[in-house]
Amino acid sequence: MTVGAASEGMDLVTRSQAGDVQAFETIYRRHAARIYTLACRMAGSPEDGEDLLQEIFLQAYRKLGSFKGDAALGTWLYRLALNHCLDYVRSRQAKMSKLTDTLDADTSYQPIARRDTPIARLDLERALERLPDGCREAFVLHDVEGFDHKEVGKLLGIAEGTSKSQVFKARAKLRALLR
Amino acid sequence: MHPNEIAINDYVDEALAPAERADVDLHVASCAECRALVDDLRELRRAAGSLDVREVPVRAWTRIERAITLEAESARSTQIPQKGFVLRAPRALRSTSGLMWLAAAAVLLLATAVGLRVLPRTLRTDTPANPPGVAVSSDTAQSVEAELRQAEAHYEKAIKGLEQIANAEQGALDPQTAATLQKNLSVIDQAISESRAALRVEPSSEPAQQSLIDSFKTKMGLLQNTVALINEMRKGNEAGAARIVSGLKPKG
Repeated sequence: MTVGAASEGMDLVTRSQAGDVQAFETIYRRHAARIYTLACRMAGSPEDGEDLLQEIFLQAYRKLGSFKGDAALGTWLYRLALNHCLDYVRSRQAKMSKLTDTLDADTSYQPIARRDTPIARLDLERALERLPDGCREAFVLHDVEGFDHKEVGKLLGIAEGTSKSQVFKARAKLRALLR
Repeated sequence: MHPNEIAINDYVDEALAPAERADVDLHVASCAECRALVDDLRELRRAAGSLDVREVPVRAWTRIERAITLEAESARSTQIPQKGFVLRAPRALRSTSGLMWLAAAAVLLLATAVGLRVLPRTLRTDTPANPPGVAVSSDTAQSVEAELRQAEAHYEKAIKGLEQIANAEQGALDPQTAATLQKNLSVIDQAISESRAALRVEPSSEPAQQSLIDSFKTKMGLLQNTVALINEMRKGNEAGAARIVSGLKPKG
């Protein structure tokens, strides 16, 4: 984070806190795409992702006072967004009262015809939405967002080994969906 | 014997110890099936790591700005300080330029939010229907009908205002979009008429009440999109306008 970028972020935060909605809109325009993308993938649908985006930015607006400029504004927002997405995922899982172990039947690595072409991004996005809760979040955090299994375990409140197992299940399912 | 799935995945993630890695190397070199699996998993990891960010729907900021405004309005009306926040009206409401109609739209949206609050409980989707044999008391039925009339009045007021804005600014729309808009509005108006006709016959009919409210909501949404479209066109944001237009097209 450069000093210029930090002070610019702090300036926008200060103006937003003073009630300048246009300044907050600038913050939104800079960071919404990354947060919306994370929310869509964690929630598994663009509709839920859009709802989460709204909740996250409303929460950010209310919590701007807690931003001290120690980290980049984008990092602060990403962390807030990630926590909000995780709360959403946990709440939804609690409602469903089960974690996904439903993949056992189709996650073994059966011989599958080899792909001759690279995976199209759009195909992968669609396939991600079809993954069951649990393994989708682990896959997104590990393979897309780049967290290691230890971090994924902490974020999702599961053991490191369970994170591995969920990611591997997701990969097997995706491989089958994308063949 | 094939390596197990943990070993294969760890191999792909380059998380194996050197000795184990050498074992899997040897196996993969001689096993076409495992080689295909490793190639696929590597391709999957590559694709997952290079996914693009998604494009945020244009309406998302409008929703957030509206929510912030509502929250500020609520805080002002209850005189509760909001952690040092001194909110001014959003940019669209502060503008004194030719975008005054946008301010009017925001006011109408606030009016709609008020209308939604009085929506009768029986019309909410999370309210279970009365079990068979459990009659709704006459008082309750009258109360529901009164609340429905109240909600209807709020919707009609908001819709009327949005229609005025949309009609006044419709010259900004190309003829095809304007025609599509009118066609969709006609379909929704027909649904509103049919719901009202059903309610005249049976005022306590929950499906008819729900249908009426749903139709109002649909009409509100269409008109809000129209106002957003005009806004995007005035800003010269063709991509944003195109996205909204695609949402105005008739379904099916």
